[in-house]
Amino acid sequence: MTNTREIKFESPTFARRIKGMLGVDFYRLFHTPLFYIFLAIAAIIPAMVSAMTMMPDQNGNTMEPLYSNVWQIIAASKSLYVIETIADYANMNMVFIFGGIMVSIFIGHDYKSGYVKQLFTTHAKKQDYMISKSLVCAFAMACMCITYLIGGTVGGLLVGYETDVNVGSLFVAILGKIIMSLGWASLYTFLNVIFRRYFGISIMSSFFFGTGILIIGIAAIVENLHVPTAFLNIFLYGASVNANLSSGIGSLLICMAVSVVWAVIYNVAGTRLLNKCDVY
Amino acid sequence: MNAIEIKNLSKNFGPKQAVCGLDMTVPMGAIYGFIGENGSGKSTTEKMICGLIPKSGGSIKLYGRDYTDENVRAKVGVLIEAPGCFPGLTVWDNMMLQAENLSIPNAQAEVIKVLKTVRMEGAAGNKYKNCSLGMKQRVGIAMALLGDPTLLVLDEPLNGLDADGMRIMREVFLDIVKDGTRSIVVSSHLLGELQKTATHYGIIRHGKMVVEMTAEELDANCRTYVALQSEEMNRTKLLLGCKYSRVEEDEAGYIRVYDLTTPEEIVTYLYENGICITEIKSEKIGLEEYYIDLMKGGKR
Repeated sequence: MTNTREIKFESPTFARRIKGMLGVDFYRLFHTPLFYIFLAIAAIIPAMVSAMTMMPDQNGNTMEPLYSNVWQIIAASKSLYVIETIADYANMNMVFIFGGIMVSIFIGHDYKSGYVKQLFTTHAKKQDYMISKSLVCAFAMACMCITYLIGGTVGGLLVGYETDVNVGSLFVAILGKIIMSLGWASLYTFLNVIFRRYFGISIMSSFFFGTGILIIGIAAIVENLHVPTAFLNIFLYGASVNANLSSGIGSLLICMAVSVVWAVIYNVAGTRLLNKCDVY
Repeated sequence: MNAIEIKNLSKNFGPKQAVCGLDMTVPMGAIYGFIGENGSGKSTTEKMICGLIPKSGGSIKLYGRDYTDENVRAKVGVLIEAPGCFPGLTVWDNMMLQAENLSIPNAQAEVIKVLKTVRMEGAAGNKYKNCSLGMKQRVGIAMALLGDPTLLVLDEPLNGLDADGMRIMREVFLDIVKDGTRSIVVSSHLLGELQKTATHYGIIRHGKMVVEMTAEELDANCRTYVALQSEEMNRTKLLLGCKYSRVEEDEAGYIRVYDLTTPEEIVTYLYENGICITEIKSEKIGLEEYYIDLMKGGKR
């Protein structure tokens, strides 16, 4: 046979590759009911928590309100690594727990359907995959933060909580938590790469890390030793807690730094893992 | 330059060696039939070529470059087992997503073109989960064709295809390699079908390449035999067994004589012994029989 065609070996640039992959992931995100279900869950849960505290108990007495202020549904009044009441814990940080489950299902479907197999047999790089998933899942979690904000605010206002707040700190807390979505999404993407063959374990591990139980445990030990707990802000849960209603611009900067640094760490680790292991 | 050149390739899964010291050469313009029993290491080899699993040793070169080179990877189209599609999306959406992943300019036109190639343009609006097995295979092949690949690696692409589907695939394969620069590696258990298009063969067993040959070499290696039927089959078989070393009865009820002989010689011999032959023909064994013989360690 004669060669009548010259073969040109060239692959798209990083920008084109990532644009294509982001396009695919966003398309999938917006076309999966999962995303909308979790947006709804993020909105309903704070509204329900607010409403439940106003319901009468078995004896007909109205329960002690969980919050005194609408914005406490969004963020704690101050940095509390060791929680004393459920109100210290039940705020926008809960989005990172539901978000973990959503990310696990979303990425788990990549493996279940064979999409990753199709993807990694092309010029697609493992790092592009990690970056694209982290960004898209961070976007999804940021959207969940917004619906949580809406649900919590509406629920709190309907219940009749006070609305006094330092607007700047509130803004920092909300923005800080939205920024933290990137770090959390990268963690969950990494966990899903580790447990790619075990869908159930991916969900459980995401849930486990999302609760922040490890940091809460460390904080309890550290507090007993009378050591300052500020160093916990270098962790995702610590930085998320640090974005609260008494935060300043410093907290926002911490959130940005922690989120980006952990996102880079998890993306690099995930890429290395994918390069070394059997993908499919 | 060869499309694929593999030297001493190995892959271990823990203590189990799935591929050990495999050498393989796929020339440009070839349709390479990759044959082996279940668990012989075909899919593992193909997955290594496609970069889905890392190799434990050896080298893989695609068009003279390392197989991990992203520039050369961009020219490889793959169908391993089943296509990786989202079941809830339509065929069209799945194709468009893959086109976007491949950063194909003018993706819509390209998707229409490859769907037409595999005769699936009419089913583009169907949800993938509602497609039949044969349709899914066609979608997988269409996906592999996206981005104008110069090397196609297809693992069992003929599974689930009906007779028309197989004919279409034959046409597609021949069309792809006609300019001599593109190559296809096809693994299939449908050896008869594979023989209709393959220009080269590689037979793998226990993770090692047993033999590589061209279609011409296979043709030369395949023995001819004389098949016959008579009115007295048992006596005929007995008589032929006395004179020839390898006489067998096949499933169709023919007696086959594999020794170097001619129909005329057999007719004369049987006539002299009072046996009337009702049918006699000289034939060649096919790839399937050659392969079975090889696996049994028999004569070629």
